[in-house]
Amino acid sequence: MAEWICRTLRDGGLEGEHAPALTINHTITCSLGFFVFDHILSQLSSFIHSQKSQSSGIVLVAFSRSPLYYEQLLKSKGYNVSASTWFKVLDCYTDPLGWKSKLANSGRIANDSLGSSVTVKLCKNDLDELFSLILHRGKELSVDGKGRFMVAIDSVSEMLRHASVSSVASLLSELRSHGQVSSLFWLIHSDLHETRATAALEYISSMKATVAVQPMDGLSGNSASLSLMQNNLKRGKFSVHVKCRNGLVKTMVEELNVENSTINFTPFSTEGEVISQSLVPKVQFNLQLSEKERNDRAKVVLPFEHQGDGKNIQIYDGRKSLNESKGDSEQTCFEKEDSGRGEIIYFHDSDDEMPDSDEDPDDDLDI
Amino acid sequence: MVMAANKPRSGSFSRNFGAASSSVPSIPGLKHGPNGTMLLSSGIPDLDKILGGGLALGSLVVVTEDPEAPHHMLLLRNFMSQGLVHRQPLIYASPASDPRGFLGTLPSPMVSKDEKSRVHETEQEKGLRIAWQYKKYIGEHTSESHRGGKSEYCNDFDLRKPLERHFFSGKQIDCVSLKESADLGAFHERCSSFLSQANQNNGNITGGRIAIQSLCSPQCEYSNREWEMLSFVRSLKSVVRLSNAVAVVTFSPSLVSTTFSIRLQHLADTLVSVKAIPDEDKELAKLLTGYQDMVGLLSVHKVARFNTQVPAILETTTFSMKLQKRRSLVLECINQAPVDGATGSSYGSSGSCSGSSKTGSFDF
Repeated sequence: MAEWICRTLRDGGLEGEHAPALTINHTITCSLGFFVFDHILSQLSSFIHSQKSQSSGIVLVAFSRSPLYYEQLLKSKGYNVSASTWFKVLDCYTDPLGWKSKLANSGRIANDSLGSSVTVKLCKNDLDELFSLILHRGKELSVDGKGRFMVAIDSVSEMLRHASVSSVASLLSELRSHGQVSSLFWLIHSDLHETRATAALEYISSMKATVAVQPMDGLSGNSASLSLMQNNLKRGKFSVHVKCRNGLVKTMVEELNVENSTINFTPFSTEGEVISQSLVPKVQFNLQLSEKERNDRAKVVLPFEHQGDGKNIQIYDGRKSLNESKGDSEQTCFEKEDSGRGEIIYFHDSDDEMPDSDEDPDDDLDI
Repeated sequence: MVMAANKPRSGSFSRNFGAASSSVPSIPGLKHGPNGTMLLSSGIPDLDKILGGGLALGSLVVVTEDPEAPHHMLLLRNFMSQGLVHRQPLIYASPASDPRGFLGTLPSPMVSKDEKSRVHETEQEKGLRIAWQYKKYIGEHTSESHRGGKSEYCNDFDLRKPLERHFFSGKQIDCVSLKESADLGAFHERCSSFLSQANQNNGNITGGRIAIQSLCSPQCEYSNREWEMLSFVRSLKSVVRLSNAVAVVTFSPSLVSTTFSIRLQHLADTLVSVKAIPDEDKELAKLLTGYQDMVGLLSVHKVARFNTQVPAILETTTFSMKLQKRRSLVLECINQAPVDGATGSSYGSSGSCSGSSKTGSFDF
């Protein structure tokens, strides 16, 4: 499924459509978001390197990690980027507020730039410059300046620190609708922002990936909490929500394992959550009986003589003594009245006599 | 289960519609509604039926979006296409930098040979007369509209075919980009002038349409100023009420605070919401028949009623959206297996596919 995401990003959007955009949610409980970002970046690099993708390169906007880190990452995967034509980095990590250039202007320190990256100053509330820089670097990636490229943004959280939600959202949606951007993906620390900001980003993106804590079973005590922490550093549940073109929503879940800076995705072992119950209106009646209801129904004592289980239930009719009737039913018996006062003599089934059907009951009347 | 009020109330007195319609020449695209209102079509025949004939002139329709699915675009497309086919003035606003591009995706009315298949369906339904006796009254109305002349009140739109060029030649099509306007005051001015122009149209009523897509979209600068957006919608509603137009506004409740969302829903005369459904969900496939063809769910929470105190009570509020032959949008009642427990909730709560909301169920 992570492969599926990488392939979707590699293929990019169709002409006239907005580019697919992936949001990777990084949370404090399971901080594997960076690993996912690196994994996707290296996968896409391999696609570009082996020329399986229609994009000519990647433009990476680095906010939270140094461009050197990425160069080393890709070098460890076997791609040399120092003289690369397919990988450009916009360095917003070193000096986002432009202090060095201000100091350099006043002569305090020397202004030095790093390798293949361009140092970018992030102006407050003005991301248009960043947008044009991204496009400019993207055009450099292809020979004629018209090829499509992918954009990766290291951490949108850093952008949101300096700029407003609406300007960041506007930048991302403009990137999405730009003809030359084939796909883009970004990482966000969802704990750091208000729900409004994360909701806005999810609104703009077409895919959302979250790493959640993998529940561990059956441990208790101090050792459990430590191993839980260790567990969370290495394993997680990777779930992706995809907005399909036809309007349906696809949800996929996988297990994530990080070992020695390599990441593995395996299919999820247990069933997914049931989310459909909330969508459909609940009907007011239920025609099926639950287990408890069935048991209760079987226990009800019906007021008939024969309960269908072979025994005759004696219904207390005031004639028999207490001892005999107690053995048959569990009901409380009333005290038998004194026989001198009068009794009701009732014979069972004594009213089987046919009513006088031939005679007219009005014949008694002497009119 | 059939609810108690499943037929529109009709006493022993019936309104003499014959006299009323003969005094005003029939205008293509408009028809008389109950209680002296005029209606225009939403572009989706099933939705018109559900809403009691169409959208009343002067009403504000609010569509709550689901951020995970573009179904509100389907509704807007049909609404706008219907307006262009009937040559009704249209103003469209969206947060994109170039809203004109959206006009290229508008569907074209379906050709007549496809209509025959629809009439055949209504005739088949008559075979179920015994079980669904009340439907024969509804069946008569649909057969009437199909036997209409060239200009129909509501067209069936083919979503695969784009609208022909000659429909766009009217002067009264305006597109506004919401992103460019820093505040909504300028946009409101534009809407007011549009409406006054539409009203003046040689004294004839044509019915104007205002379509505002994704009002609270995060790209717009005003999107964090909720009171401004709310007062814009309120003044838009008052201006539209005095005119012969219908305004459709869509917004996504996930982007704004709950109180704003509820206030906006209260402002609406007609309130509709669309929901996405998960793909290949086995639970839903067991619960609903016809799940494979469904693309989404549509709920009608409020229906506009003017000049009357009698509310519109619908049989059901939730419908499934299906694309018939991938071309036209149909809305159907959902047939579902009974589930135990009934927890009602207000229409303000949103149960999206990804969230695990416990109160996400609908009124029934």
